[in-house]
Amino acid sequence: MRLERPSSREEAVAALGDGAVALAGGTELVPLLHEGIVAAETLVDVSAAVPRGIAGRVIGAGTTLAELEGSDAIPEALREACRLAASPQLRNMGTIGGNLLQATRCWYWRLRFPCRLHGGETCHAREGQHREHAFLANDFCASAHPSDPAAALLALGARIRTDRRELDLAELYRLPTEDDRSTTTLEPGELIVELELPEVQSSAYLKAMDRQRWAFALVGVAVARAGGETRIALAGAAPVPWLLGSAADLDAATPLPGTAFKVEIARTLVSRALATLQ
Amino acid sequence: MARLIRSEKEVEGRYEEVWTLVEEDALDQWPAGPGDVVGRDAPRLDGYEKARGEARYTGDIRLPGMLHAALLRSPFARARVARIDVAAAAAAPGVHAVVGPGEVQGVDGEASFEGYAVAAVAAQSAGQAHAALRLLDVEWEELEPLLDADEAVRRGSLVSPTREYARGDYERGLAEADAVVEAAYTTQTLNHNPLETHQCVCEWRGDSLDVHVSTQYIWGLRNELAEALGLPQDKVRVICEFMGGGFGAKNGIGNYLLVAAELAKRTGRPVRCALSRREENVVGGNRNATRQRVTAAARADGTLTALGGEFTCALGWGGWLPPTSGPMQLLYACENVKTVEHGAKLNLPPMAAFRAPGFVEGTWSLECVLDKLAAQLGIDPLELRKLNYAHADAMDGRPFSSKNLMECYRRAEPHWERRHEVRARSDEIWKRGLGMASQIWYGGGGPPSYAWVRLGSDGRANVVTAMQDIGTGTRTAMAQIAAEELGLPLDRVEVQIGDSARGPFASISGGSSTLPSMGPAVRSAAADAARQVLELAAQRFEREERLLSLKGGDIVSFDGGSWPLAEITGLLADGQILGKGARGPNPAGMRVLTFGIQLAEVAVDVGTGEVRVEKVVAIHDVGRVINPLGARSQVEGGIIQALGHTFSEARLDDPATGVVLTKTLDAYKLPTIADVPEIVCDLVDEPDEHLTNLGSKGLGEPPIVPTAAAIANAIRDATGADVTSLPITREEVLRALHEAEQRKKEPVAAGAA
Repeated sequence: MRLERPSSREEAVAALGDGAVALAGGTELVPLLHEGIVAAETLVDVSAAVPRGIAGRVIGAGTTLAELEGSDAIPEALREACRLAASPQLRNMGTIGGNLLQATRCWYWRLRFPCRLHGGETCHAREGQHREHAFLANDFCASAHPSDPAAALLALGARIRTDRRELDLAELYRLPTEDDRSTTTLEPGELIVELELPEVQSSAYLKAMDRQRWAFALVGVAVARAGGETRIALAGAAPVPWLLGSAADLDAATPLPGTAFKVEIARTLVSRALATLQ
Repeated sequence: MARLIRSEKEVEGRYEEVWTLVEEDALDQWPAGPGDVVGRDAPRLDGYEKARGEARYTGDIRLPGMLHAALLRSPFARARVARIDVAAAAAAPGVHAVVGPGEVQGVDGEASFEGYAVAAVAAQSAGQAHAALRLLDVEWEELEPLLDADEAVRRGSLVSPTREYARGDYERGLAEADAVVEAAYTTQTLNHNPLETHQCVCEWRGDSLDVHVSTQYIWGLRNELAEALGLPQDKVRVICEFMGGGFGAKNGIGNYLLVAAELAKRTGRPVRCALSRREENVVGGNRNATRQRVTAAARADGTLTALGGEFTCALGWGGWLPPTSGPMQLLYACENVKTVEHGAKLNLPPMAAFRAPGFVEGTWSLECVLDKLAAQLGIDPLELRKLNYAHADAMDGRPFSSKNLMECYRRAEPHWERRHEVRARSDEIWKRGLGMASQIWYGGGGPPSYAWVRLGSDGRANVVTAMQDIGTGTRTAMAQIAAEELGLPLDRVEVQIGDSARGPFASISGGSSTLPSMGPAVRSAAADAARQVLELAAQRFEREERLLSLKGGDIVSFDGGSWPLAEITGLLADGQILGKGARGPNPAGMRVLTFGIQLAEVAVDVGTGEVRVEKVVAIHDVGRVINPLGARSQVEGGIIQALGHTFSEARLDDPATGVVLTKTLDAYKLPTIADVPEIVCDLVDEPDEHLTNLGSKGLGEPPIVPTAAAIANAIRDATGADVTSLPITREEVLRALHEAEQRKKEPVAAGAA
């Protein structure tokens, strides 16, 4: 395996063609390489190609979770989502750009069962062990998206800029289908460069997990109020970070036998999170 | 004098009658209470060595020319190797040897669980070894696995015969009762996950084998390896200087050891074989899951009239049937007890002893159902336990060598009285409560075990015994015992352990037996050395020997004289004083057990099912405490490990294929420091006057036994909800809350149950 370290964005984008994989903090990519889920001849270290740091409401995609957690300029929902994610060591390495592209923790997928997300015919979790899985949009694939910051950024209404376009964060994600099993709309070699946050008045993030720290969300609930609008987003609820139209939309949840409890927790956390908004 | 006696030997609840070589233990116990060194806090002698990374663990061993072994393991829960071609792997870069199915014991083509070893390679590097595994061309014939424990019992697929126990008349006991509570409980499969995975380095020297290995039993492993390899025992040398935990998973031999020994023989090189974390989480051993149906019955005055239980243990492909019924048989003075235990044989990785095997699972159900019974009778739970106190062995009437459980209960009272105040601190979201559970377990140790003490001209003592320190601070405790007996400050005692070629036989570090087995031998050896020093002092200073003693590094005469020890040792030149000691017998006709109680204070978020443990009070009776600092650390460790099985740890298997899904530590959730509550540790510290020259029992296992039940009882106290399965996940708490809610709505139905 080769590691390239381009010094500019142009060089990085050029290097990313042809199956090369972008490496930032490595907290997600390195385990996936180890597990043989991602295969790459070439890794492209994008640390010189992607901005790092916070300027007003613009966040460089190379900014670490620890830096976001520690910044007064960042809305509470995102700071708290970072604070409750992973461990300090991982937050010191992991970047927000990489975090948005985090893959599911579904054990079947991680153990390379020939599941739908890997292009197969079955969702093993639906009939198998699925207490950590999705209760929304889980018909084709019951995997749950693990990113806390992604849920926070969805609620905050973030936009992202890649090396070739600008889009709402919601447009970055797609549900896997029979024809296309991917969970993002990113094109091969496309690089997330920056995020931009709109002004919000108030926001919050609440997370239920199996232990006090260093666990993925059973349910994560982000809420944000901007102008007259309140947005709710969920982590650990669907195969992608999930924007919830309203609390009542949870009535339409489609839990598996082992994930019904998550709906109940989501209801409680949504109502508690909304109650904290000013 | 050495004697051969016929005696009962117990390890983790397994008893056998054996001939045992014992030596008289003529020493009187020290008076109760702290001595000069024993009974006082002593930081670990090897703490800095470990913190600086200087302590050499098995994983640090790198021998010249050493090869790395890797095992090809079955990806299926049940499969047969129809065909295997090793040629490509054997020709791969760096590969020195390949072991095929059937060429080493425990490595064959009939895979009976995921992770079953079918072949192995040795290569220059670990990476090359793993790469070569992928070149082993295997044609698998997949077979239908048996994965359900109840189904296995129905089909008669058992690891060992079903065990039945009965005393008194169970049916009459039920008939005489005013209240009967029946309930079902379950516990999950748990992985030990010691910091250091199973590993070894094997090296042949001529016809002798040196084995560096992370083991809880140097001598047991030496004997097992010698037998497996057809060698005289002393041709196998086992070395374990430091180890990173075992919790029962490293009590004996494993096929990774035999693979390393075979590959080392074939290649003429040292061979290292270390399990990865993933392998450890599949085949490293486990605490078996259980399904339990238990019944507790009592008269209106609280007298237990019947206890019954049927326990199904999902043992996997091997292991042994742990004493899940032990607490039910031993903890209370109930005349009528009936238990049945099944050990289901399944196509899942075999169980191994895990810190109080059986008793953790059995205490969970017994102490939970007892609280339900107390509620039904309207009797205070602590009172109910006192009412049914066993003053003698409930199984055979034997007296206890010592039992201070009532003292533990007495010390629990001020904490227990706080429960009203704890409950009153509840609010809309967080409901608070206090619960308790009793602890009973073995932990008396036994003979044989030996130690030597060497005293030289520098006035320093060396304790030599071929024992292992599983990580509990054994070195420090042994040094304290020798220092106390020799009247030396702790920093003048060294302890040399960890090598079967350098010291006498020492017992297993399992069944909470290290200290009660080894401590008395060390004291006896130190006393032998002390006696010789005093003999010399009597000659040199012309005093009667019986007037002399050793204290504070001095030789002290009863009639007033005092001389630094150096005045004798300084004369030794190359001469040495050699003390030899042995562990004496256990008290005849007595039952040696450990006891305790834990109280847990919890807060339950009724909207999300989150439980926070705010405080655990642990009161245990384990005889004399040698190192209070080390003992507190053991108690904390036991409770923290218990928090893991109480809330977050569970091995999950795919129900269709039997494949372990939680192979990594993000999925198998050990507790972290953020989960640790305030822990208050109170040890009764009363020497067991009948047990050895120390009066000390073991403390490794007791603290993990009652924690989960105490927490479940606290959840009931806080919310009225009966949690019945471990781990107590969010979904389990929410389920129990809804059930309690339902019960409130249908009081008639609840009364009828």
